[in-house]
Amino acid sequence: MQAFHIQYRNTQGTLMRILNAASRRGLDMPYVQATPMDHEHGVTLLLDVSPKQTGQLCRDWHAIVDVTKVRAGVPFTVATHAAHEWTTPHLPASVRVASNTAARTASA
Amino acid sequence: MLRGAEIVLRCLRAEGVELAFGYPGGAIMPLYDALPDSGIRHVLTRHEQGAVFAAEGYARATGKVGVAIATSGPGATNLVTGIADAKMDSVPLLCITGQVRSAMIGSDAFQETDVFGLTLALTKWSRLVRSIEELPAVIAEAFHWARSGRPGPVVIDIPTDVLKAKMDFAGPVKFQPHPKPADIHGVTTFTETLIPLLENAKRPVALLGAGVKLAGAVEDLRELLAYLQIPTFATVHGLGAAPQDAAYYLGMVGMHGTRAANLALHETDLLLVFGARLDDRVTGDPSRFAPHARIAHFEIDPSQLDRVRACDLPVIGDLAETIPAFDSAVRRISLPDWTQWRGVACGADRAEPDARGLASPTIRFLDELFRHLPEDSVIVADVGQHQMWAAQRYRSSSPRGFVTSGGLGAMGFALPAAIGVQLAKPNATVVCVSGDGGFQINIQELATVKRLRLPVKMVIIDNKYLGMVRQWQELFYARNYSETDLSDNPDFVEVARAYRIYGDHLDEDAMREAPVNKAVSAMLQRFLGSPEPELLVFDCHPEANVYPMVPAGAALSEMIFEQE
Repeated sequence: MQAFHIQYRNTQGTLMRILNAASRRGLDMPYVQATPMDHEHGVTLLLDVSPKQTGQLCRDWHAIVDVTKVRAGVPFTVATHAAHEWTTPHLPASVRVASNTAARTASA
Repeated sequence: MLRGAEIVLRCLRAEGVELAFGYPGGAIMPLYDALPDSGIRHVLTRHEQGAVFAAEGYARATGKVGVAIATSGPGATNLVTGIADAKMDSVPLLCITGQVRSAMIGSDAFQETDVFGLTLALTKWSRLVRSIEELPAVIAEAFHWARSGRPGPVVIDIPTDVLKAKMDFAGPVKFQPHPKPADIHGVTTFTETLIPLLENAKRPVALLGAGVKLAGAVEDLRELLAYLQIPTFATVHGLGAAPQDAAYYLGMVGMHGTRAANLALHETDLLLVFGARLDDRVTGDPSRFAPHARIAHFEIDPSQLDRVRACDLPVIGDLAETIPAFDSAVRRISLPDWTQWRGVACGADRAEPDARGLASPTIRFLDELFRHLPEDSVIVADVGQHQMWAAQRYRSSSPRGFVTSGGLGAMGFALPAAIGVQLAKPNATVVCVSGDGGFQINIQELATVKRLRLPVKMVIIDNKYLGMVRQWQELFYARNYSETDLSDNPDFVEVARAYRIYGDHLDEDAMREAPVNKAVSAMLQRFLGSPEPELLVFDCHPEANVYPMVPAGAALSEMIFEQE
């Protein structure tokens, strides 16, 4: 299980769009809590997802117009408070290219 | 004091709307009542799906926001396929729907549907308007989201009492979006990673998608490609982005792509993707897509990354910024010599064989038809075999010259979309290429064509089947042609005549030999040059297939070809 924390402006339909990103993938949502947070709203979701789905979901949520912040926590049973914040769209887990990778390619 | 309907129309005018497509009904009547004095030309289609596809055609041809209007309930639900189509193909589209009176919402009133809920998953943004005071801000915001970033569809659902209400109108407003961290990227340092990859690549290629056009980056891209001279190919929506006569251009890639493009994509060690989603029709089996390649993905919408195939280097941002940045960086280095790779990928032995088999007359027909088209012509293709044949034979370098429903694959798209394209480009030759199945899905729009005297040239490739489904049944379902037989089609020429549109038949026998008979060639020239709408029904062999073909689940290198 993975915990996700999404912050959003509480405009029409934004929460539904957030939930739809999970439901369109046929994911069960055993835990959902939406609450006001500071000047915005936040929703916490608990989902059973693969690492690839985690990236896709975070990028989908980030693309929603009034979503302002997306965080994915460590597995829920460990510690939800240790969530990592993405201030930019979450990149695919597959991103491995860095300067050292380029160098490795060069030597191949 | 202005009525809500008048405010809506004034705000539309302020956003540059000159043309809207729609179909009136109960809840939207106040808007139609105000329409004649609005300065906006309204095109009455004969079905709401016709309206939304026409609006899409207009948007695809111009890059402007297409506007479709419908009433509540069934009017709104009939828009849904077009909204989904616009979402998949990144088309800027505004749908305005009437809604039952505010007080009746939720009561299952006559012609009430939850349009807002129904379209949530298909739209980029939407609003159910609750008061007349909201209207100016809502419309401004709708246009912002339809146009910005990756364009897409937006919906405004307006209760009829809001349209009837009155208020003092201070004028249209501007929308100021809240900045998102994702928006604050500028041109990043991606070149530091990408340049070494390019310098060390032995078999680089470029794949072009619609994003290049949407970003207005076609010229920048062409300059880059002219410098790189690497094998290049396009998705169906990327057709026309590269100069078609360039020696390095290999045509369309994917399930029905060219042999050269698919093989180059399979063999490459560095794939540069420019504004394409890499959907399953392009990748084939994702686990065997570009198996030797590192992938650098230029994309404005991060949500498109890593959907089907993981990329190694995402270059997130507006292609109008990232492509020039890459170009500048590329010109500061010494490029490797890719002559040998280019010779292999673009070699004559990989060129498409001459048309052969049952489809050869149809292919020859399309070649002859397209040969007579002026450069600024627009082909509007429906969905199916004819769509792929047309895409394969498309030879224009006009970036917005090939319009089709690519992502959603919505049959019935072409005829109404061609109406929108022709209205957007009144002086252009617009050719609607459809199948006999798809043409009948929105055949009622012949009335719209006739009413407006639009010189749309309508071509039906008539094989008396749902041809692409039949092809799959033949190849993968042991020729069990279940429910694809359309041999009882109407005589389309007679149908056109009923709408007072001239039509004619052309049998495939006329296209059996090359070169094409001069009389047939002259007939096609006359057809294309006519100032009136015309229909041409090309009778195609019922069992003609589209080749090459990558079977579902196969790698791009596992194409199958027409047997002799």
